[in-house]
Amino acid sequence: MEISVEEKKGISIFRMTGDIDINTAPELKTSFDEMAKRSGIKVILNLKKVDYVDSSGLATMVEILKKLRDNNGSLKVTNLSAKVKGLFEITKLTQLFDIFNEEDEAVNSFG
Amino acid sequence: MVKNVIPTNSRLLKKISKKLIKLLKKAEIDEEIIFDIHVSLEEALRNAMMHGNKLDIRKKIMVEAELEPSIMKIAVEDEGGGFNPSKLPDPTHSENLLKENGRGIYLMRHLMDEVKFENSGRRVTMTKYLGTKQL
Repeated sequence: MEISVEEKKGISIFRMTGDIDINTAPELKTSFDEMAKRSGIKVILNLKKVDYVDSSGLATMVEILKKLRDNNGSLKVTNLSAKVKGLFEITKLTQLFDIFNEEDEAVNSFG
Repeated sequence: MVKNVIPTNSRLLKKISKKLIKLLKKAEIDEEIIFDIHVSLEEALRNAMMHGNKLDIRKKIMVEAELEPSIMKIAVEDEGGGFNPSKLPDPTHSENLLKENGRGIYLMRHLMDEVKFENSGRRVTMTKYLGTKQL
């Protein structure tokens, strides 16, 4: 998995390429560890180039969300493929995450 | 039937998974069905390695896969202490949504057509109907 990060309007946009699974989820977690300690961080996870997520990947995203919320930050997820969105729907994580079709919509939603 | 016995190693999890997915793609199975099987197989292997064998590299995982024209059956068995699959909490309950774990078997049960546990939870057999397409 590859992760690129761009800062835009005070938002950290993480664009991921590849699978988020048992082997790569720890890398995603590590890339957030330092950032999540800061207060009030705004983050977007763009999953446009992610075709596969397993329960380890879902667990890591939940963990990141919790850490950000604990520090008054927020997380939005964008560009889910139909298959990956299906996993969010089955597990009802759609109730937990703010999900947007496009990255710009998520950027604008921060106000 | 494809039968493999592998040590507890997450890298081998991917190797086995790729092998079976390649078989399904060669058989021109629908991409959505392949995705469901892919996720379920890796969840079963992950459970066997982490929760069953508790990452003990001396313990083995047995994987059996049988592809017929309209059905795919996969069995995964570990050498752990077993568990009671009927006593798992529902990860979609509001009190469990923020929990990091507990979604693997739930996903398997939703993505596959049948999921059966045997041998005190050590063996799981999953079945997916592939539609009417012939091999």
